Amino acid sequence: MIQDINIVIAGVAGDGVLFTGNVLAKVLKRRGWEVATSRDFPSNIRGESTSYEVRGVLGDCAGRGDVIDILLAFDCQAISRHIGHIAKGGIVLCDGEEADLLSSAQREGKTFHRLLLRKMARENFGKDIYKNVIALGSLSYILDLEPEILKKVIEETFLETKGREIVEANFRAASLGFKKAQEILTPEECHALGRDDDQGRLLLSGDEAIALGALAAGCRFFAAYPICPASEIWEMLVKYIGNFNGIVVQTEDELAALNMALGASYAGARAMTSTSGPGASLMMEAFSLAGMAEIPVVVAHVQRLGPATGIPTKTQQSDLTQWIFGSHGDFPRIVVSPGTVEECFDFTVEAFNLAEKYQCPVIVLTEEEMGQNLRSSRPPDLSGIKIDRGKLVPEEKVIEIRDFKRYEFTPDGISPRSRPGMRNGLHLVEGNEHDEHGYRSEDPENRIRMMNKRMSKLKNSGAYLIPSRVWGEEKSRLGLICCGSTLGTILEVMRRLDRKGTPAKLLQLRTLWPFPAGEVRAFLESCEDVFIVENNFSGQLRLLIRSQVEPECRLHSVLNYSTQTFKPQEILESMEKAL
Amino acid sequence: MRTKEEYHREKPTWCVGCGLYGIFDALKRAAASLDQSPERMVMVTGIGCHGRMNNYFRSYGFHGLHGRVMPVAQGIKLANPGLSVIGVSGDGDAYSIGLGHFIHALRRNISLTYLVANNQIYALTDGQTSPTSQMGFVSVSTPFGSKELPLDGAKLAMATGGTFIARGFSGNAGHLASLIEKGLTHPGFALIDILSPCVTHNKVNTYDWYRENTFVLDDDPAYNPRDKKLAYNMICDAKKIPVGLIYREEGRPPYETAVLPDPGRPLAADDLSLDTEKLGKIVLKFR
Repeated sequence: MIQDINIVIAGVAGDGVLFTGNVLAKVLKRRGWEVATSRDFPSNIRGESTSYEVRGVLGDCAGRGDVIDILLAFDCQAISRHIGHIAKGGIVLCDGEEADLLSSAQREGKTFHRLLLRKMARENFGKDIYKNVIALGSLSYILDLEPEILKKVIEETFLETKGREIVEANFRAASLGFKKAQEILTPEECHALGRDDDQGRLLLSGDEAIALGALAAGCRFFAAYPICPASEIWEMLVKYIGNFNGIVVQTEDELAALNMALGASYAGARAMTSTSGPGASLMMEAFSLAGMAEIPVVVAHVQRLGPATGIPTKTQQSDLTQWIFGSHGDFPRIVVSPGTVEECFDFTVEAFNLAEKYQCPVIVLTEEEMGQNLRSSRPPDLSGIKIDRGKLVPEEKVIEIRDFKRYEFTPDGISPRSRPGMRNGLHLVEGNEHDEHGYRSEDPENRIRMMNKRMSKLKNSGAYLIPSRVWGEEKSRLGLICCGSTLGTILEVMRRLDRKGTPAKLLQLRTLWPFPAGEVRAFLESCEDVFIVENNFSGQLRLLIRSQVEPECRLHSVLNYSTQTFKPQEILESMEKAL
Repeated sequence: MRTKEEYHREKPTWCVGCGLYGIFDALKRAAASLDQSPERMVMVTGIGCHGRMNNYFRSYGFHGLHGRVMPVAQGIKLANPGLSVIGVSGDGDAYSIGLGHFIHALRRNISLTYLVANNQIYALTDGQTSPTSQMGFVSVSTPFGSKELPLDGAKLAMATGGTFIARGFSGNAGHLASLIEKGLTHPGFALIDILSPCVTHNKVNTYDWYRENTFVLDDDPAYNPRDKKLAYNMICDAKKIPVGLIYREEGRPPYETAVLPDPGRPLAADDLSLDTEKLGKIVLKFR
């Protein structure tokens, strides 16, 4: 029985590659498989080539696989792009004639089948669009997936929006595809998958998990400007936030998005924005204001390939230093980096608590790879959600305070907060340097005290921040360090290292700022060689580490600034080269 | 009834004769006349001499970034529509660096009162040409005269869906107070562009210059600010600068009532304990 499979759906934009891949991923998940998808989409609506990888593992699933087991191409041109990655014994299904495009060397060891999806769709249903479900039917035959699961997913997808008739037509399309595959493939060519119970696991993207986390955390105000690959957070929130007495505002730009969130937060609502690349650059101005005026706010930043407009639909980790060191002036900020979809949810909830506890901006920093791809994950523990509003003082307490000082000097640097509208809580929130009441002050002594107050807030925050996580063999002297969405692939690398008899350990940084210097120092001291794996050119994570601690072990960078995410083999190879 | 002193926190330190004194006085009078509680008022200011108003006016306040008065004010209003939110900007703040926000706030017709202290110059930064300076205006930034057309906030407001467009004059605080009072009670976005002389840097657009070059619309019984065509003509073709309520449209629902699930239950004061059943149902969709 197969335990690990990698299926690629390829075509041109507009072919329904995304739909087909999403349904396939869901069907696999329902069969008890752990699933990770990976989209390779152009920043374009129609016409350019796209592909969608569905990796399934019966067991722990990390991320992308190294090779393709099944390629389903709506467009024969797509085959030549992927042929180099197709495994021996792999199957290629193509809607057309691929023979002329490939050399015999390229074809060796693989099976090719024509699956005339469009023709079948047109002849049977009068519409090309049915080709996607026909293809899914064929795949469910090849993979020995129960047709009932596919039918159930089709029903869930279409019944509410398209009605029973369309559902039935799609059932017929699925059966047609199933039968067609039965006709053209020999039983030996099939990749019958093992099965398990899916145990109620979810299949969702990092963006969706962040949106769910925001709802759980009591986010009531979300303002943003459309941007790839963060818009899914918004699209999810806008569907549901109204049920929780919250709203979404589409602003004119990212300057407005963050400023509006700050206004709402100052008024007392839990507020958030989301963005990427250029949008984050525009937010830098208000980021500084949030720090100075001590306004809690959460920014979800889904990193994409830069600089400038870059390639908006590709992943990258090149905006770490922007949030950690960016904007004008010194001010406290917290940057967290989830490594899994579960962590996207959990850290977003935590981000809202930290923002209010420390009255500062908190950045949930993810990547396109995390944001837009689906992962099977454990359902969140909703009953365990805790809301900590920090020093937001209830009105009945504000009334008792004789002289309310919004920026009062306190031992922990955190001052009481009142909401406008509360009796006796009058104050000014000020972007200028200010006194304890918030009024502008250029007094030199006050400036030093205020600066120290703001910067001291996070001094003892360590115990409340999200700790780093160490994975793998503790005694190993071979270490890896990562943050964010590279985690899954690195865990797979470690399993392979284990099998080779060279176990390694991994430090997953989950709070990037305030920098967890103690944890990083201890890890580095226990290693001889440490590989810092990151999706950028300049090694920003390494730069960050080196700016905060003085490592004595050998540091190596494994960098990837291409349009493709890391594959396990690539990381292994660069490690082997260096050792 | 409250007196205007209740809104007075501190004596301003603007230059003697600055137009901002007139605006400060008019705003206090309007608030007193509406008997608004200072604790239910929020003043949001930008960067410029006007920004000091937050130190002088007694209410909740937010003094943020240059040009960002509108997004902050909208965030506050949406989070708590029961508050009376007043934006105060200068001409640079509103019509230059904050222009994008200004016209989008107008499109939304969100219930804010926006006072733009228009002195046709950048005063706090020592007298540069502003977006409302006249063509040919000589200043430290345009020693050979400005080569750009001035921009008219009221005209822009007409073009982008403004429902309350007025122009006031700092030299006539009583009249200005009545405009602000109307603006504060307008359901929707109220722009009051206020001609407000800078006595230190602008030697052209002085009190006398404004008196000569303006006329009071309210004196004309034939003028009807609810007539859109008339208002357009007034803004575009008047020989002198019209002062008064130029245009008013009623009946267009303000943004906050259109978007808030329950305007009577402000987001800002909501109980955040999680309805696990409700969210649980959404989570199940991802099974």
